[in-house]
Amino acid sequence: MTVQSADRPSMIEFQDVHKYYGDYHALRGITASIRAGEFFSLLGPSGCGKTTLLRTIAGFEGISSGAVMIDGKHMEHVPANQRPTNMVFQSYAIFPHLSVEQNVGFGLRRDPRSEADKAKAVAEALEMVGLKGYGARAAHALSGGQRQRVALARALILKPKVLLLDEPLSALDKKMREQMQVELIKLQRQVGITFVLVTHDQEEALVMSDRIAVMFEGEIAQLADPETLYRRPNSRRVADFIGVMNFLPATILGEANGQIQVEAAGLGRVEIETNQAPGAISEGEASVGFRPETLTILYEGQTASDRETAGTIDEVVYYGDMTYYDVRLDGVDKPVRISMRNVFGRPVLDIGTRTRVAWSAGALVLFR
Amino acid sequence: MDWKSRLRRVTRTEAFSGYALVSPTALYAILMLAAPLATILAFSFFKDGYLVVVREFTLQNYIDTWSDEIFRAILMRSLIVSGLVTLVTVLLAFPIAYYVSFHVEASKKSRWLFLITIPFWTSYLIRVFLWKVILGYNGVVNSALLGVGIIDTPFQMLNNVPAIAITLAHAYAPFAILPIFVSLEKIDRALLEAGQDLGESKMMTFLRVTLPLAMPGVVAAVLIVFIPTIGDYVTPELIGGGKLPMVANMIQAQMLPLDNKPLGSAIAVSAMVVVALISFGFVFMNRRFLRGQK
Repeated sequence: MTVQSADRPSMIEFQDVHKYYGDYHALRGITASIRAGEFFSLLGPSGCGKTTLLRTIAGFEGISSGAVMIDGKHMEHVPANQRPTNMVFQSYAIFPHLSVEQNVGFGLRRDPRSEADKAKAVAEALEMVGLKGYGARAAHALSGGQRQRVALARALILKPKVLLLDEPLSALDKKMREQMQVELIKLQRQVGITFVLVTHDQEEALVMSDRIAVMFEGEIAQLADPETLYRRPNSRRVADFIGVMNFLPATILGEANGQIQVEAAGLGRVEIETNQAPGAISEGEASVGFRPETLTILYEGQTASDRETAGTIDEVVYYGDMTYYDVRLDGVDKPVRISMRNVFGRPVLDIGTRTRVAWSAGALVLFR
Repeated sequence: MDWKSRLRRVTRTEAFSGYALVSPTALYAILMLAAPLATILAFSFFKDGYLVVVREFTLQNYIDTWSDEIFRAILMRSLIVSGLVTLVTVLLAFPIAYYVSFHVEASKKSRWLFLITIPFWTSYLIRVFLWKVILGYNGVVNSALLGVGIIDTPFQMLNNVPAIAITLAHAYAPFAILPIFVSLEKIDRALLEAGQDLGESKMMTFLRVTLPLAMPGVVAAVLIVFIPTIGDYVTPELIGGGKLPMVANMIQAQMLPLDNKPLGSAIAVSAMVVVALISFGFVFMNRRFLRGQK
C-alpha cells in the first residue's frame, strides 16, 4: 500500500462495459482503470458480477457492449489463449493427469527455448512459490495450499502482464489463508505484475490491495484505496459491507466553515467535516455512522470529553484480546456496537452497567 | 462371553455387513460363472471318447486346436472383426458422448442418455434381424436405391465382414457411449479454461487435457466392446450367413453337432486366454491414463 501507484500508466481499462445473460443484466456500465503494477481487488457479495468482470479480462466471457482494453489494446477479438493474462482459478484447475512440473510447464509448449532451459524455468518458478523439489510429484497428491502454489507458478512462469486471481484463498483454512495473503503480497511486489483479485472477503481485500472496487448488482459502488474505503465509505451499503458500522438517525441543521452541524440520536449535536460526508445531502434527514473501534467506553475517573454521551450495556461478547459491547445509548432503541481492547487492568463490564461513551474526532461519517 | 454375544459382535462389524451385501451376487456368480468356467477348463484337459468325456489328463486338445489352420484363421477373423467393431464403435461413440457431456444443457442430459439406451428396448436377436432386413438383398437399402433409380441390381450387403461390423457396432454403441460420457462428465470445466488461459487453442486443449482425462472411459469402452464381440455367436450366424464363422460358432460346432466337448472346451479356453492377453496388454499400454486421479 506504500507504492505510489497513482501516476502509473493504466494496464486495464473498462469503458462502459455491459454484459447481459439473456434478460439478466450482469454488468451495468463498468468504467474503471486498473494501473500497471497495482494489486487491485474486485470485492462484493456473490452475484455482484465481480467474477464475470474478471472473466471478461481473461477472455472467457464476452461483453455485450463497451470495451475492455489491456495495455492499450482492444481485446474484443482477442481469444483467451492470446491475451497477456493468466489466471489462478478458484478450483486451481490443476491438471490431474500431469505431474507438478508438467503442470507448471504446460504453457511453455511453444516457447522457443531449449528443453533444458524450460526445465530450469520450471524449477525456478517452483522455487519462487516455495515448492522446490516437488516437481516430480503427482498433481493429485498435493494439498490445497500446494495446489494453489502450483497454480501460481504455472501462471507466473508465462510472465503475464496481468495475473487474475479468482477467489484463490477461499478453499484454504484460516491460518493457511492468512499466510498465503502475506505471501501473495510479497510475490506481487517481487514480480511487479498487475494482480487483479476477486474476493467476497472484505478483510482479505483490505489486507492485500492497493485499491479496491466494491461491486453491487453489476455496478462499482466505490473504487478507492483500503483506508478511504474503510474510513469514508460513500454509502451505507459500502459501509455495511466493509467491516461493521453503526448507524444512528440524524438531522442536518446546517453547514458552516467546512463543518456540517448535525443533531444525531444518542449523540446530541455534533459537527462533521464535509469530507466525512461523501455524497451526503446538506439538509434534511440523514444517518451518522461510526466504526465500533472509534467509540470508547469511559471508565470511572477518566476525564470527561466534549464528545461524550451516556448509555447502558446491553450485551457483552468476550473475544480474549477484545471485548465487544452492545451499548444502548440514551434516547436510542437499537444498541450500537463498541469494541474495546482488553488492556491490562481494564475490567470487562457487566450487562446493565451504566457507562459514559466518548467518540474520537473524525470518527463520524454522514450518510444520506 | 457366550456364543450369542460373540456372534453379535461378528455380525455387527462393517466387513460382515459388506460380505452380507455381496453374498447373493457372489453366490450366483460362483455357481453360474466360476463353476461352468472350471468345468470348461477341466474338460479341455480330458480325452474325448465317442459321445462321452473320458476323464484322463491330456494336452492333445490344445495341440489339436493350435495346430489347426482353420482355428487360427477363424480366431484371426474374430480378432479382426471385433477389433474393427471396437474401433468403429468407440470412434462413433466419442463424439456423441462429447456432445452430450459438453453441449447438452445439464437439465436435458438425462433425456439424451435415455434416448441412447433405446436400442436396449428390443432384444438383441431382433435388432440383429432388423439389420438383416435393412441390409438384405430385398432389404430397405436396396429397395430404396432401386426405387430412386441409383442402381439397377441390388447390392450384396450381407454375408460379409462390414455387415457384421455395422450390426455389432450398433448393438454395442450404448456400452461405449456411457463410460466415455461418465469420464467426460468428471472433467472439471475449469481445466479446459486453464488450458486456453495457458495459451493453447481449443483443439490443443482437447488433445492435451480433455482426451487424456477421458482415456479411462475410452479404455473401459474398448474393453466392454472388444471382449463380448469376439465371442459373439448370433451376428456371424445371421448377418454373416454362416459363411464367416467366428470363434464362438466354431466352439458351438464342436460342442453340439460334433459332440467333441474337450476340443470345444480347449478352443474356448484358448480364445479366452488370447482375449485376456490382448486386454491386459491394452490396459498396460494405457496404464498412465488409469492412475488414480482426483
